[in-house]
Amino acid sequence: MNRAWLLVVGVIATIVASVTGLVLLPDRQLRSTGPVEDEDRGITLPVAYFGDAEEGRKVYMDLGCIYCHTQQVRPEGFGADIERGWGMRRSVARDYIHDEPPLMGTMRTGPDLMNIGARQPSAQWHYLHLYEPRITSPGSIMPPHRFLFEVRHSADGLPEDAVRLPDEFARRKPSWIVPRDRARWLVAYLLSLDHNYEVPEAR
Amino acid sequence: MADTPETVPLPAPEERERLTRIQIDRSCRQTVVWYYASAVFWLLVGSALALIASLKMHTPGFLADWEWLTFGRARPAHLAAMIYGWGSMAGVGTLLWLQARLTRNRLPFPTLLPATAVIWNLTVAFGVVAILAGYSTSIEWIEIPPSTAILFGFCIAAIIAASIRMFRSRESKHTYVSQWYLFGAIFWFPLLYVSAQLFLHTPAAKGAVKAAANWWFAHNVLGLWFTPIGLATVYYLIPKVIGRPVHSYHLSLLGFWSLAIFYNWAGTHHLIGGPLPAWLITVGIVGSVMMFVPVVTVAVNHHLTMVGHFHHLKYSPTLRFIVYGAMCYTAVSFQGSLQSLRSVNEISHFTHYTIAHAHLGVYAFFTMVMFGAIYYVAPRLLNAEWHSAAWIRVHFWTTAVGMAIYWLGLTWAGWEQGKMMNDPRIPFLDIVRFTVPWLWSRSAAGVLMTIGHLSFAWLFWNMLRQRGAYLPGPTLLIRKDEPVAVGGGE
Amino acid sequence: MAAFYLALWGLAGLLGASAIAALVWAIRRGEFDQLREASQSIFDDEEPVGKVTDRFPDKRF
Ligand code: HEC
Repeated sequence: MNRAWLLVVGVIATIVASVTGLVLLPDRQLRSTGPVEDEDRGITLPVAYFGDAEEGRKVYMDLGCIYCHTQQVRPEGFGADIERGWGMRRSVARDYIHDEPPLMGTMRTGPDLMNIGARQPSAQWHYLHLYEPRITSPGSIMPPHRFLFEVRHSADGLPEDAVRLPDEFARRKPSWIVPRDRARWLVAYLLSLDHNYEVPEAR
Repeated sequence: MADTPETVPLPAPEERERLTRIQIDRSCRQTVVWYYASAVFWLLVGSALALIASLKMHTPGFLADWEWLTFGRARPAHLAAMIYGWGSMAGVGTLLWLQARLTRNRLPFPTLLPATAVIWNLTVAFGVVAILAGYSTSIEWIEIPPSTAILFGFCIAAIIAASIRMFRSRESKHTYVSQWYLFGAIFWFPLLYVSAQLFLHTPAAKGAVKAAANWWFAHNVLGLWFTPIGLATVYYLIPKVIGRPVHSYHLSLLGFWSLAIFYNWAGTHHLIGGPLPAWLITVGIVGSVMMFVPVVTVAVNHHLTMVGHFHHLKYSPTLRFIVYGAMCYTAVSFQGSLQSLRSVNEISHFTHYTIAHAHLGVYAFFTMVMFGAIYYVAPRLLNAEWHSAAWIRVHFWTTAVGMAIYWLGLTWAGWEQGKMMNDPRIPFLDIVRFTVPWLWSRSAAGVLMTIGHLSFAWLFWNMLRQRGAYLPGPTLLIRKDEPVAVGGGE
Repeated sequence: MAAFYLALWGLAGLLGASAIAALVWAIRRGEFDQLREASQSIFDDEEPVGKVTDRFPDKRF
């Protein structure tokens, strides 16, 4: 084994083989996957992100929600994702066709969010939870995201989506939290996460 | 260098070899000291970010109003500082020195290579700041912006050029096993990094396949960049420190090629249960399980080399760190193979168990081996002794014990967390509350490890100022007049 | 799709076979001879086999 070129050729061959097998071939297999038609509603699913939800996805990425939350439902019989109500079916490649990049995650310090929009459709709940997770979920270790909000103490001229803070969490009473744009976008994104519909490949 | 062999009348062959080695080591001084000093700097930055992230996880109110330090940014910034700053820079420094030693050549490009260290630092700094400022790509292990590929690519190109140049004018016709691993590392890393950036940020891969590209990359940073550099170091330094050749050269050959072939494929075991084709996941599992082959060969080989020489662990700081690292390599790889089995993965996936596993690889194996290498290399570059044995002991015991606590706590907590998560009757918040004490144990371990890093930085700082005893030659760590127990009947 | 998988398996077989061929070729060429010597190549007269080269530094400091 004293010949360097042999070594280098071998080294490069191994990695070219693996990238072919693990990235290029699956891409070939999945590239043509498109959305499914929902004839009743006249739309195609999954719905592409647009407007606030599209911006919110960027907020989700820049705040690193991915380090505590997954977006993938494991199949029945492998874990208890479906029994926990995280989705009505397993996630399939089709669910991610608009996801650049996919935010599947590898850590469940918090619950899976693949279908959080269906499970928790209240924007108010999300605002309170984001502002201080322990308001809605005692004992939670999710970080508070107070920097996404403005706090006001007078009811005059409050925007529609302002939420009253429960007194025990307010430094001055009364307090309202007013979501800044990034909070609005983020919640729009969370509410858009809903993959509870039938696809042919999962049952 | 003034004292070339000519100025010494009729140097004995042994003296000539000593002088050559001094010259080789000195030729690395500029470059490798730059890389090592930067690595130590990033180690401290990474430790600070790690502590912040760890504390935030059980005490979410801590520093909560600073958006740039929110958990979801501090954690990837910690990873970037450790992987691209500490690990890669310590790795490149060691890789260059090893190649100079192995080819018995001076390190070329005395201005270009230190310049790459500067560029590397700026690139990592840019990446870490970008993450803290909210420009993370949110793709695990490669959160730093894609433009960094050009800068890292440039640095690696210079390193490849230097390696090839040294290799082509090598003295011995033998290519030592460490050299294969090093060639592997320097060609694998740029291919990995650049193609990952392409797949992840261009339409070269779409949707879910980007996740496959992500884990192909992330797993291979450990497998095809850190692991080969770490093993090259172990293969050189264990024999060199104890003065005994590698037990079986055949085994090391088998170990290298089986690693090259199987490690490549292991990454997709991170996607078990995920939305990718079943065959792809199966390939990942097969690759992971086949990793038993290289791991067993390396473990058996190193163990048989060490047999009869374990008492040196008491006397050699380098050996202590390296043997700890080598043992953890075996452990982490066995654990990795097991973890890729579906029945284990069903529980361990998505939990703190994985975090413990990752630290066993990057920290207990790679980082500890790099500490050992720096303890060996730095005195030879700077002609100075480490100034305090006591601080080295502090460094070893805090990091070794800290790592053990870290791993035990999170492995246990993760396993229980996984079992609870798979039982739908247990409310999610109960699981969260269950893990909190173990997150505290991680913070305690982190404090210990940080104390170790601070003592190491203190030692290194004094090394830079050459505060330790002056060393006329590079191998006088053993004083000539001192009887040295040389074990084994070689 | 079937043709695609057939091609895939063919390719895999071909790759495997060429790896084995390369190995046989390398052994024939004597690439694996003198392995013992190679393992000694990191030692020399001044740092010979049997010499320990690292120790805790002197405790005078
Ligand atoms: C340190 C880990 C951590 C981070 C970072 C984190 N979360 Fe959480 N999250 C949790 C935990 C733990 C829970 C469960 C307790 C709770 O409801 O607060 C949770 C719950 C949630 C829930 C409710 C899920 C349900 O099923 O009720 C939502 C929605 C959520 N998080 C969104 C986010 C978003 C958006 C971000 C990023 C801005 C984020 N999380 C960042 C840990 C985290």
